[in-house]
Amino acid sequence: MSGGPAYATVYLTVEQAQALLFPGATFQPDTRTLTDEQAKAIAHASGVPVRNKQIKAWRVSTGGWFIVDEVVGKHEFIPFALALDDKGAVKGIEILEYREAYGGQIRDPEWRKQFLDATAGKKLQLDRNIRNISGATLSCKHLTDGVERLLVTYDLVLKKSS
Amino acid sequence: MERAQPWLGTLVSIRVSGMAASDAHRAIDTAFREIASVHCLMSFHDHDSDVARLNRAVSLQSIQVHSYTYEVLRHAIAFSASTQGCFDVTVGAELMNWKFLPSVGRSSIHYGSWRDIELLPDNCVVFHRPLCIDLGGIAKGFAVDRATECLQAHGAQQSIINAGGDIRVQGRDAERIRLRAESFTDAVPVLELTKGSVASSSGYLHRRWCHERFYGPHVNGVDRSPAPTDRFVCVVAETCMTADALTKVVMVRGQESAAVLRKFGASAYMYDAGREWQRLDAEEVMTA
Repeated sequence: MSGGPAYATVYLTVEQAQALLFPGATFQPDTRTLTDEQAKAIAHASGVPVRNKQIKAWRVSTGGWFIVDEVVGKHEFIPFALALDDKGAVKGIEILEYREAYGGQIRDPEWRKQFLDATAGKKLQLDRNIRNISGATLSCKHLTDGVERLLVTYDLVLKKSS
Repeated sequence: MERAQPWLGTLVSIRVSGMAASDAHRAIDTAFREIASVHCLMSFHDHDSDVARLNRAVSLQSIQVHSYTYEVLRHAIAFSASTQGCFDVTVGAELMNWKFLPSVGRSSIHYGSWRDIELLPDNCVVFHRPLCIDLGGIAKGFAVDRATECLQAHGAQQSIINAGGDIRVQGRDAERIRLRAESFTDAVPVLELTKGSVASSSGYLHRRWCHERFYGPHVNGVDRSPAPTDRFVCVVAETCMTADALTKVVMVRGQESAAVLRKFGASAYMYDAGREWQRLDAEEVMTA
């Protein structure tokens, strides 16, 4: 075991998310790079730090914006798509992918061995066979923070060029 | 086909199989809409939710709520009655005091309990004292059950919905479910479930140091003390709402939950830090 995610699921590609959130529309890429000033203003107004200054946005032929972004939690990495209608209101959010890792724990051969023991010697592939996890509910606060940051980004940067 | 969206304060994923992609998307869209409506009705935070309206109500004011909220309250009262008040949705004040919920203005401690909730005809609800309810311990399970019904109505042969660990499996194929108990033990327990629900609770991940002790997000409804934070609990039941609600009871009562589990046809697996896994269910009660 050389490490890697304990659990990874790809839900949708960018194209699939576009088709679901804006059926029948076409998409014009409009990627922006935030200036330092814009990034500061967005962080200030949303209360959420701006880690990536590149905004992957698309203008939608039927009105509105489609934005792809990602949030990184303590153990997880979540790329997601945000659909905004022509007024800038949230039309939908789709998670594109979910990856969860437990740092050093997964790289520990003893941990791996116990995993196999726990399932009566059946060969399990960590990231493929067991994609369902039940545990203490994980908060999606960093995701809602990410959406808030993008709503402010729309307000301060994208809306002006709509 | 699997998709995920943020609802109910967590990530909700829905996977269906045995149907064409376009039908699967339609089914999943409807199921997410159902989950979104439960979220909007029962959110503690949203000013306009049924829960927020009830929490603002003065004594004896009749509030009409959505039939879903009414149904969840009816079940919550039944769980309270069956657990002598161990499960109680009127613990919102404690959860605010322990900083697990944001303060909604009604800051004084309320001494009422589930017994002060009266359900009237026409989906009307009356609080006999000002109460602060939180449906966080039951609404996720309810939402998963409603969404599962949606998927079935749309022809899904096989489905699994996971709302932050509250899971319901429907169909003929078994699903493997990993229990996230890594905070306590290096071994990784795996359940196999064909048709039914599983929910897990643990106070460890979210515990807070407050008033010179650790507090987890689970409250003993009877004496309003916090449940142990070094315990992991997993409940298996037919409906996700039952599994969801009973995890809170097992968190507080541990082995003494066997009779309640039996009453609701549920089983539980419990791990206390430094001890072995224990299975609590009807069989053990019979042989005890």
